[in-house]
Amino acid sequence: MGRFLFRRAAAAAAVLLGTTVVTFVLARVVPADPALAYLGPKARPEQIAQIHHQLGLDRSLPVQYAHYLGGLVRGDWGISIGTKQPVASELFGRLPATLELLAAAMTIALVLGIALGVIAAVRQQRLVDHVIRMLAIGGVSMPAFWLGLLLQVTVFGQLGLFALTGRNDPDLEFTDPIRDITGFHLLDALLTGNAAGFTDTLTHLVLPALTLAAYPIGVIARMTRASMIEVLAADHIRAARAYGLRERMTVGRIALRGALPPVVTVAGLTLAYSLTGAFFVEVVFNWPGLGQFASTALLNADYPAIMGVTVLGAAAYILVNLAVDIVQARLDPRVRLA
Amino acid sequence: MTLLAATTGPADAVRTADTPAPTRLRRIVTALLRDRLALLGVVLVGALLVLAVFGPWLAPFPDQGRGVADVAHRNLAPGTGGHLLGTDPLGRDVLSRIIIGARPALLTPLLTVALAVAVGVPLGLLAGYRGGRLDEVVMRIADMFLAFPPLLLAMVIAAMLGPSLMHAGIALAIAWWPWYTRLARGLAAGLRDRPFVDGARALGLSDPVILARHLLPNAAAPIVVQASIDIGTVILASGSLAFLGLAAQAPTPDWGLMVSDGRSYVLSQWWLSALPGTAIFLAVLAFNVLGDALRDILDPRAVTR
Repeated sequence: MGRFLFRRAAAAAAVLLGTTVVTFVLARVVPADPALAYLGPKARPEQIAQIHHQLGLDRSLPVQYAHYLGGLVRGDWGISIGTKQPVASELFGRLPATLELLAAAMTIALVLGIALGVIAAVRQQRLVDHVIRMLAIGGVSMPAFWLGLLLQVTVFGQLGLFALTGRNDPDLEFTDPIRDITGFHLLDALLTGNAAGFTDTLTHLVLPALTLAAYPIGVIARMTRASMIEVLAADHIRAARAYGLRERMTVGRIALRGALPPVVTVAGLTLAYSLTGAFFVEVVFNWPGLGQFASTALLNADYPAIMGVTVLGAAAYILVNLAVDIVQARLDPRVRLA
Repeated sequence: MTLLAATTGPADAVRTADTPAPTRLRRIVTALLRDRLALLGVVLVGALLVLAVFGPWLAPFPDQGRGVADVAHRNLAPGTGGHLLGTDPLGRDVLSRIIIGARPALLTPLLTVALAVAVGVPLGLLAGYRGGRLDEVVMRIADMFLAFPPLLLAMVIAAMLGPSLMHAGIALAIAWWPWYTRLARGLAAGLRDRPFVDGARALGLSDPVILARHLLPNAAAPIVVQASIDIGTVILASGSLAFLGLAAQAPTPDWGLMVSDGRSYVLSQWWLSALPGTAIFLAVLAFNVLGDALRDILDPRAVTR
């Protein structure tokens, strides 16, 4: 296991280094001059030259790359053109909001996805199974921004439930401010016994989390169903039934345990996918996370911010994939010996 | 040709000699029509193709569909004034815009996937077949691209090239080609040492001929399945780029752009966003269902039902 871990971690580090090369090249092949973005169109040539010198753009590409890489490691990710703030603090300041949304969505997706998958597998080829399969393939086909808008129209607009946009009611700042401990508002409100803050956070979290969960629910339900069907046909399940074990015990405990490894894998992969999905949910629900910052940066050609988002996104993606590999290796010895 | 005919897949091998052999295509079509869900996919894809080809003749208000305003009939609810799906704040018929928008919505992903396949598959086949240094170099480059979430990479490239439909398509193709390289490489590496490839080599055939005539036909099924599922994914991705404003620009009738434009009116005029979004959803659903069914038919090992 130790050797396997080392090999995988080294490979992940190499790939991460590769992504910084891609990001750097992408930012250098664009036609626009970053100095103009800082100075505006009326800049004088000597001002442009000065900015070029400050940014190191007058040096050779390998030197520039080394400089860029050094900055990344030291936490100097450049200054956002849009907000004039350091990119690293902008990104890491918004990270908890995005992580809270992701965590809520994945919790919903795991519970609902596995439950739906098990029900479909047990009732294979019955009506419930067909309905769940339709729901699952619908879930993976839905644009998140569309589902979010539909929920806003129906659940908030028609039924008046939950909140339309944002992470908290603006008034909460004055009545029951949430003290920052973990950056997860739900958890912080719970830890400080802030009931009003907890309810307010929850009402704001439900719709965006459900929206983001649609895709992973579909994927997890499909994989759970397929995996359960395979396991339920295995000899040890027949033996358990022959011993007269109760069906709930057989399905819920014995079969589900055997069916979980591939489910864990796809859950990890959809988590990686949802990192990008969160961008769109954040835009629709005005959620103050990474995605909102990123979409503004993308539209305004804010290169330092875009490069920062890209590297952070790739790093998160690589880490999640690494974690999936490790979990898989723990669950299945064949993976780590291969 | 005999070498090739002997290796067209396991399904042909079980055929008995006295039954007339159905063609591969006919077998696929019958299987698709038998499965109700797959049938839904076929019907939806067919309807989309009809809209994409004949849209300008089918749309009730083709000029408005293309972006001409009609300020006398602004913000009409669905079903009023002869506008089945209502009108937008510029008085344009929503149904016409959705119908006219079908062509770019379908054509962009089709061309994108075609480009990704055209670049990715030959590279992957070559890497898997030759092995060694070439394999190393190609796959390490592919790995660098595979390390990004594909949609994020496409968004970043589209933003850096400058927002337009063309750039969005290029960005999506850049994000998607390495997936085909990896798939084709694995398939080619598995086929490389099979006797029929050795035979082709012994006959003195050149590498391009072996790749095109002997490896590609045997690797085609998984690639076709992947491509048909990817068309759905890329429709979703290009709709997402458009929604962020990184693809087509106003007044082009683009589904993703329409959803985004309608967002400010979501609580008063839900149809402006919801209906073009439904079009994206149905298009993605159609290709996902079809891709799933194709996988079940072409890949007997896959456990999905």
